Amino acid sequence: MPEHAFMSPIEDSVPKVGEVAVGEDLNFQRRWWKFERAIWLFFLLILAADVLGLFGRGWLAKAQRTDAAQTVTLDYERIERASTPSIMTFHFEPAAIRNGRIELYVSEDLIKPLGAQRISPEPRESSMGDDGITYTFPATRTPAIAEIQLQPSFPGLHHFRVQVIGGQPIDATVFVVP
Amino acid sequence: MPTIVHAVIGYFLLLVIVRVLARRPGSQMTLFEFVLVFLMGGIIILSTVGNDRSVTNCTCAVIAVGLLHRAIAWAKSRSRRIGAILDGTPLTIIRRGEWQQEVIRGMKLRPEDLEAAARSANVTRVEDIGYAILERNGRISVFPKEDA
Repeated sequence: MPEHAFMSPIEDSVPKVGEVAVGEDLNFQRRWWKFERAIWLFFLLILAADVLGLFGRGWLAKAQRTDAAQTVTLDYERIERASTPSIMTFHFEPAAIRNGRIELYVSEDLIKPLGAQRISPEPRESSMGDDGITYTFPATRTPAIAEIQLQPSFPGLHHFRVQVIGGQPIDATVFVVP
Repeated sequence: MPTIVHAVIGYFLLLVIVRVLARRPGSQMTLFEFVLVFLMGGIIILSTVGNDRSVTNCTCAVIAVGLLHRAIAWAKSRSRRIGAILDGTPLTIIRRGEWQQEVIRGMKLRPEDLEAAARSANVTRVEDIGYAILERNGRISVFPKEDA
């Protein structure tokens, strides 16, 4: 294209169709139709992946882990969405209760990158240390359940560790999509 | 910063979606298109500003989209190829009185669209059309046959 389009000499540079200057580019249009078909297929695949939970909040995103000492079973989402709340659930087994209480350690990664917002029920005590927080819940018998509400701030891969004191640690990874 | 990134992503996402939705022959926006525009705009705005609804954040998002739009308009003016990708090119629907079936199928044209365009050009019969061009904005330009 000339530097100054409106100062260049007038000439008929627009491709003609018959005697009408149209500017048609049918080859480009044919390629565009192919691209359109491909992009709609791509969109369908994205929707299918979303329905299955590949981007979180679905069947593929749900995960469950139990520690080797059978003290706790953890329900969480291995794929989370940034700035979107989710619930991580701890199902405590009888072996988790010691001296009328359950002590649950969660690593710092669960607090900051994964944005732990609220824990239910309210722990009787929270103590910091070992790069995390240990919550103490009064408990007498099972089933006993605790929930942590998460709201990840940043996309990416985040590792975390949870452990019932007296049990074995559970190391898990969560992928946060934007 | 995240707002600007989200605004840029949202702009390009909407641009691609609207572009592949194809030109609707007839060019005028119907209720059908209004639903798309409002719904898509509303959804994108949620992820663009997030929880930060401050004037500062929204102003930055608007400025980012404005600058991006201007940059793309500049790119279109410099490159015919970019213009074709973003806006498409005109397409001939009728050439010397002959229907161009490939274009009609590809653009999902209906006879009613062409009849309406013919009436706008004071052509009473489709058979009297010499050339019909589907413009980039979806409007159909009609040129009657010289002997019509």
